[in-house]
Amino acid sequence: MTLSRPVLITGLLALTLVAAIGSILFGPVHLSLARMVAAFTGHGDRIASTILLELRLPRMLLGLGVGAMLGLAGAALQGYLRNPLAEPAVLGTSNAASLGAVAALYFGLVELHPVMLPALSVLAALLSLVGLSVLAGRSESPLTLILAGIAIATLATAGVSLALNLSPNPFAAMEIMTWLLGSLENRSFDHVWIAYPCIAIGGLLLFWDGRALDALTLGEDGAQALGVDIQRTRIRLLLGTAIGVGGAVAVSGAIGFVGLIVPHLVRPLTDRSPSAILLPSAIGGAALLTFADLAVRLIDTKNELKLGVVTAFLGVPVFLIHLMRERRLW
Amino acid sequence: MNSPTKIAALAFPLLALGGAALWATTPAPMPHPATKPRRIVSLNLCADQLVLALADRDQIAGVTRNATDTEMSGEAAKARGQPVLKNSAEQILAIDPDLVVGMPASRSAPMRALKGHRFNLLDLQSADTVDQIYASIRQTAVAVGHPERGEALVARMQAALARLGKPGGGKVAAYYQRRGFMTGTGTLIDDLMQRMGLVNLAAKLDKPPLSQLSLEEMVAAQPDYLIVESATDKIADQGTEMLHHPALAGIPRISIPQAWTVCGSPAYVQAAEGMAQQLARFQDRTHAR
Repeated sequence: MTLSRPVLITGLLALTLVAAIGSILFGPVHLSLARMVAAFTGHGDRIASTILLELRLPRMLLGLGVGAMLGLAGAALQGYLRNPLAEPAVLGTSNAASLGAVAALYFGLVELHPVMLPALSVLAALLSLVGLSVLAGRSESPLTLILAGIAIATLATAGVSLALNLSPNPFAAMEIMTWLLGSLENRSFDHVWIAYPCIAIGGLLLFWDGRALDALTLGEDGAQALGVDIQRTRIRLLLGTAIGVGGAVAVSGAIGFVGLIVPHLVRPLTDRSPSAILLPSAIGGAALLTFADLAVRLIDTKNELKLGVVTAFLGVPVFLIHLMRERRLW
Repeated sequence: MNSPTKIAALAFPLLALGGAALWATTPAPMPHPATKPRRIVSLNLCADQLVLALADRDQIAGVTRNATDTEMSGEAAKARGQPVLKNSAEQILAIDPDLVVGMPASRSAPMRALKGHRFNLLDLQSADTVDQIYASIRQTAVAVGHPERGEALVARMQAALARLGKPGGGKVAAYYQRRGFMTGTGTLIDDLMQRMGLVNLAAKLDKPPLSQLSLEEMVAAQPDYLIVESATDKIADQGTEMLHHPALAGIPRISIPQAWTVCGSPAYVQAAEGMAQQLARFQDRTHAR
């Protein structure tokens, strides 16, 4: 079922808008519609404006931004690697970025300058991607790449755990959970200012190469014959993914599977060319993560659910179905 | 188990141990008061503080590993130079103590491991009110052979607390810990708040001894004061970061070191005095306006 591009984009945008509005409307404190309208028009009481503008608004913006980045990175990586299982979390990029953020936070580097948080996160993400291309190299099998990704993700997860155990923080266990499963709880505009510049730069670099990704479906030689500079494309993709995912993870922790599910969900609605799924994946990612974050808030648990729990429950079935289909390649 | 600071501090293994053994009901075999024990071993942080406050330095043969941590123990200075034990049965066996103090001692892991051996045990109860602190102080003082010190300490504490009055004036306060944990009624913190004349937000909202309150709910509840642990004054991780969210910026803060409140100990007085001073400072400011 292929939808025309304007219809698809409009539909996804509408879905995202619903998620965003829901994210503003619902929270642990019930606010009447009148109070909310008053708060947004600047005549609200202090409590309602604080809840809406300082708590729910930054959280909604981060849900949209982080989700868009993860969805886009998943689409770009799947296109570039020609591997349907590629995405930041499966390849270990998100966990590595978490490790960078943890190192910056718990060893006091952030106190030197706030920019250290996204900087270390981006650096760690970049290192993981470079490590991945060294490990998986030009291997033909898509599973080599996934296995290398799992190795990197496992190493980074262990690193997060170890870093927190070594830091003088007695509450390490709780913190480890947040960094590995992701959460948008209690975020403020400070976090928006950390994440958004990274997401903007990363997004730009990833959108740049839509054409090259299409050409790559013909293989590297074919793409080169069409005039694609493979080397530059690779560098832009690595940097874009590292900067965008690094900045997103620095404020939200490693949220899995968004980058995996979204491209698979939107691909059947497009002409299936890698460039055609970039924008829909970004918008769909924004909608999905914002909905997931809404679910986290609405499902009544004693402790707030972690985002990664919700996305994993959505993502693992998709992942498994693809593994089944790939079985003949094992 | 109704001491929330301890529940929240589950990451501290010693506190958790102390907390896990709180429901012990076996009566404490009272040590013989006539002879002063010479080799006292304490089995957890809260027992450490009482032993350090009441026994002679050379009577003490071992305290636990957090006893010297100023962040956690009100008697950290006195613990310096004392032998620190690793909660191991072997070490205790080697010391051959003539008094083992715990909260309670008989349920602690090393004492269970040494079931066949007979030690002179002092089982203390965890204190949730100042009267229970007085009782623990007297019990410990008798056991370590200095009952007069216990009486004197209790008298000093009572006198100091009597001087404080009720500077809270019926205002609402929330004891807000990292990750949004809020301390409720039936706790030492609640006892402290009532003494100050403050209303515990947890009581007002009918919350259990330890509950988690989201930032939104805290903003909506708008307490007059937030009481926080001074260790959270600086952002060290995500758990403390939330206490510094701009949405809470408008609520006046009282900051009390955890070392004074985590155990029922003589430091209760310091906690009360610190709280009273900070309350008085806020009220001066309001009057000045």
